[in-house]
Amino acid sequence: MAEEKPEKPSTVDFAREITSKLGGETITYCYQCGTCASSCPVAKTTDRYNPRQILRLALLGQRGEVLTEDAIWLCASCYNCQERCPQKVEIADVIYALRNIAISEGNIPAIYTEFATGLMSEGRIVPISKFLEKKRADYGLPPLKPTGIEALKKILSATGFDKIMFKKGESQ
Amino acid sequence: MTAKKGLSKRSKGKVKKMEEAKVGVFLSDCGGQIAKILDFEALTGFLKTVNGVALVARGSEFWRGQGLQAIVDAVKEKKINRVVVAENIPKISEIAITKAVEEAELNPHLVEVLDIKDHCAWPHKDTPKEATEKAKAMLLAAVEKAKLLEPIEKTEFPAVKSVLVIGGGIAGIQAAEDLADMGFQVYLVEKEPFLGGLAAKAVRFFPTDDCAICIQSPTSDLKTVTQTSRKCVYRSGFSEIPNLNVLTNSKIVKVEGAPGNFKVTVERKPRYVNEKKCVACDLCTSVCPVEVPDEYNAKLKTRKAIYVNKPLVYPPVYAIDAKACKFHECAKCVEVCPTKAIELDQKTEHLTLNVGSVIVATGFREYDPSVIKEYHYGEYPDIVTHLELARMLDAFGPTNGTVVRPSDGKPAKRIVFVQCVGSRDRRWNPYCSSICCMISLKHATLIKSAFPDTDVTICYIDIRTTGREHEYYYERAREIGVKFVKGRPAEIVHDPATNTLVVEVEDELLRRLLELEADLVVLATAMVSSENARELAEILGIELDQDGFFKEYNAKLRPTETKRRGIFLCGGATFPKDAPTASLHAHSAAVKAAKFLMNGKIVKDLKVAVVNEDYCGDCEFCPVTCPYGAITLEPKGEGHFVARVSELLCEGCGVCVGTCPVGAIELRHLKPSQISAQMKALLSINGTSKPLVLAISCSECGNAAIDSSGMAMMSYPANVRVLRVPCTGIVQVQHILEAFKAGAQGVMVVGCKPDGCHYEVGSQKTHKKVELAKTLLKAYGIEPERLEMFNLVYIEGDKFAEAAKMMTERVEKLGSLQLA
Repeated sequence: MAEEKPEKPSTVDFAREITSKLGGETITYCYQCGTCASSCPVAKTTDRYNPRQILRLALLGQRGEVLTEDAIWLCASCYNCQERCPQKVEIADVIYALRNIAISEGNIPAIYTEFATGLMSEGRIVPISKFLEKKRADYGLPPLKPTGIEALKKILSATGFDKIMFKKGESQ
Repeated sequence: MTAKKGLSKRSKGKVKKMEEAKVGVFLSDCGGQIAKILDFEALTGFLKTVNGVALVARGSEFWRGQGLQAIVDAVKEKKINRVVVAENIPKISEIAITKAVEEAELNPHLVEVLDIKDHCAWPHKDTPKEATEKAKAMLLAAVEKAKLLEPIEKTEFPAVKSVLVIGGGIAGIQAAEDLADMGFQVYLVEKEPFLGGLAAKAVRFFPTDDCAICIQSPTSDLKTVTQTSRKCVYRSGFSEIPNLNVLTNSKIVKVEGAPGNFKVTVERKPRYVNEKKCVACDLCTSVCPVEVPDEYNAKLKTRKAIYVNKPLVYPPVYAIDAKACKFHECAKCVEVCPTKAIELDQKTEHLTLNVGSVIVATGFREYDPSVIKEYHYGEYPDIVTHLELARMLDAFGPTNGTVVRPSDGKPAKRIVFVQCVGSRDRRWNPYCSSICCMISLKHATLIKSAFPDTDVTICYIDIRTTGREHEYYYERAREIGVKFVKGRPAEIVHDPATNTLVVEVEDELLRRLLELEADLVVLATAMVSSENARELAEILGIELDQDGFFKEYNAKLRPTETKRRGIFLCGGATFPKDAPTASLHAHSAAVKAAKFLMNGKIVKDLKVAVVNEDYCGDCEFCPVTCPYGAITLEPKGEGHFVARVSELLCEGCGVCVGTCPVGAIELRHLKPSQISAQMKALLSINGTSKPLVLAISCSECGNAAIDSSGMAMMSYPANVRVLRVPCTGIVQVQHILEAFKAGAQGVMVVGCKPDGCHYEVGSQKTHKKVELAKTLLKAYGIEPERLEMFNLVYIEGDKFAEAAKMMTERVEKLGSLQLA
C-alpha cells in the first residue's frame, strides 16, 4: 500500500481526489452537523461505523485510515443520511466513491473477493448449495436456472471488473 | 419616464449657439516635476500648430490658485470657448475647473481634462522621447474631442417632499418617525389591523432583554411627551406627529410615475370599527359569539371575531376579522357599542398617494418547518417554533408567562432547542438566518432564570454570537446551567405511552448517540422573506436576491438603496436582523430618502442618451439592456415603436449605445464623432519603435487601474494609448474595427470586474461583444489575438502594466497588420 507511514493531514488533496470521483462530488459541503450519524441504523448498533467521522477523516486528508480500515465497508446503503443531510452531501454515494478508491488500490475485504469469485465462476454472489435447493423445493419454488456465465464473463472482463477485483492478489 | 416639458425647467440661458471652436490648452508640469521627462517646449510648439488651438499656457498647476484664475481669464478675456487642461488627478481637478469655467459663463461641459503625468510621463519615464511623442498624441486627441464638444444643459425634476413607508414593524415605524420628525409628509402602510410586526409578538429583545416594542422617541414637539432615549410605542406619541399618517389593513396595489413623483394606489380593507369613535371598552368582545384560533398568540388560545391584540398595540382600536364575523346575521356588538363605533357596512377603499420616495420595510417571518418531515412539526403539538414560545413567555400571552406543553397544558420541565431548522440547509434555505442562535440563548436564559428546575438543552451545529454583547449571553446561559449538545438531531419521535418527545442526536464531542427526552421541543426555524415580497417587488419594479429578500443596490457601499432611484429598503426586508440592526438600517433608509427629496427638486446635468427616431424602431435591445429601466418603447405610427429615454433615470453609461444594432442611440456627452476623433488622434503619432496598441478603458475601475499603475511609476511601453469612455458597455464591434483601421495593431478593452461593473451589466456585455468581435476579426483576416479584454480594479495597476507589455509583445510577434 502507498500509505504506510503516518501521514501529514492534507485537507485539499484527498478531498479533491474524492470530489473527482463519481458520487464523491458533494463531500466538501459537509459541515459536520452529525445528522447522518444520528440517522444511521448501523451507527446505532456499532461504534465501528460513523458516517460523520468518515467524512471528517476524509476531509482532514487521513487517506490511509479511511481507505484501509473497515468502516467504509459497514454502510448498509439505506440512504437515510443522504435523505436528511442539510447540505445535500450524497453521503452514501461518497462512501461508494471511497470504496471504489479503496478497491482500485487493492484494499478489498475478503468477503467482497469471495463475492467476486462466485460471480466470476458461477455467475452468482451466493453459491447454490444443496440446502438451498432443498429449501426451494420445500417452498414449491422451481429449481434455479443456470446463469449465462460466458456472457457475464465477457461483460465483467470488458468493464475491467476482473482486473479491479483481483488487483490485491496480483500485487502480492 | 421622460420629464414632461411642463415639469422640467431647462436652464437655457447658459447654452450658447455653436460657434467656431477656440481651444485654450493649459499644460501643468506639476511643479516642474514632469518637465524632467516630457519636453514641454516641444509640446507647446506642437500644440501651436494644431488647427483650432488659440492659446497654449504652461504652469505648475491649473486646478486652483493662479492657474485656475488663468483659465477663467482666458475664457472671459480671450474668448476661449473650449478648455483643455493637462492636469493630474483629473477626477478632482476636473471638479474645480468645471466649476470655475461655469462661473466664467462658459458651459462646464466644454472642458476636457487629461492626465499626462500618471498616464504618460511616469509610466514612460525611462523613455522620455517616446513619452513626449505620446503626450503629443494625447493632447491632440483632447483638442480634437474638445472641438466637437457641445454644451449640456441642466434640468430640474420635481421631488415631492412626501414618503411612503411600507410595513409597520420596528423598522418601518422608526423610518416613518425619522422622516416625519424631519418635516416630510409620511404615510405608514401596514397590511395587518395593528402595527408592531414581529416585534410585538417577540416580547423581549436581546441584547438588553427589554420590551421588544419600544422605539426611539420622536423629537417632534408633542407637549406631554418627554424625549428620552426610548419609549413604548403606545407612550411615544409617534402616531401624533402631525405629518404622519398611519394606514392599517392596507396594501400597495399600483405604483406609477417617476422617482421624486410617484403615484401610489393603496387598497385599504375595512376595519368595520370607526377608529375615531372606538373607546376600547371591550363590551363588544363580551357579546361576540364567534371564537377563532388567535394567530397573534400562535393559536395557543382563541379570540373573538372582534378583537384587539393586547396590550402593546397601535392603534388601540378594535378590529373585526372579516373571515370569522357573521356581520348582520349577528350584529350583537353593534347593539352594545356605547359610541356607535362599529360600522358593518364599511367598504374597501382605494387611496391615491403622491410621494417622492418609497421605503420598503416589510420585514421577515418564521419559515414553516413542517416541510422537514423528520421533525414532525404540525404533527406533534409539543413541537413549537420560537415565536410560539415567545408568546408563552409573554406575561400577557396565552399562558401568562409559563412554558407549557400545548398538548395537555402541563408545565414543560424538559425543553430541547433545535438550531438551524430549515436554515443553513441547502434543501430549503441555504443561508444562516443570523439571529436564531441569539434567540435560543435569550429564551433558554429567560426560562432557566424564571424556572431554574427546568432542564434546557440546545442542540447546535455552530453557536454564532457575533454581535456586541452577544457572547455574554452564551456565557450566562452556561453559567445558569443550560446544556449544549453539538449535533443536529436526526429525528424527533413521539412516545404516545408517556406523551414524551425523544430527540435523537449525536453528541459529536462524545461521539455518542443520545436520545433526549423532552416535554417541549423548540425549533429555531429559518427566517425568510415576507410572503408578499415577490408581488411587491413587481409592483415597485425592484429586484429580490437569490434568497428571496429585497436586494440592496450594493451591500458594501449603497445599503438600503435599490437600483431604482427613490426606492429604499430597510430592516428585515433585506435580511433577518436583530432590533438594533433593524433600527440602524431604518435610520439609514430615512436619511437616504430625506437626502433624495430635501430640495424639493432633482437637478441634473443632461449627460444622457438620446435616440435618433429616424433610425430607431421596433427592436427591444436597449430597453431590455438598460440597467436602470430608463428606456421604454413608445408607439410611433401604426404598430411601430421607438425607444424613449427617461432623462431622469438615465445614468449616461452608454450600455444602450453599445447594444444598438443601427447606431440610433448616442450619448450627449460622448458622441460617436468624438470617439472617432480621439481614436484617430491617439493613433496618428507613434514615436516609438513598437506597434500601436489602443486601450479602450472605462472611467471607473478600468481607468483607476491605469491611474494607479502610473501613480506607482510602473512602466509599460509608450505605444499603448488610452481612450476613456464612461463604461466599456458603450463599445461596439464597429469601434474595434475602426481602431484597427486607424492604425492600431492591437486593441485592449479595460473594464471593471464582470460582477463589479459600476453600471451593473456593462462589463459582462462587453465581454460577450469582444468574443463576438474576435470571430468577426478572423473573417476580416485579422488575428483574433490582437484583441483582448481585461477586467481590472484600482489595486491592480501592476496587472495593467503587465497586460500592456504582454499585448505589445504579442502584437510584435504577430507582425505588422495588413488590412485589405
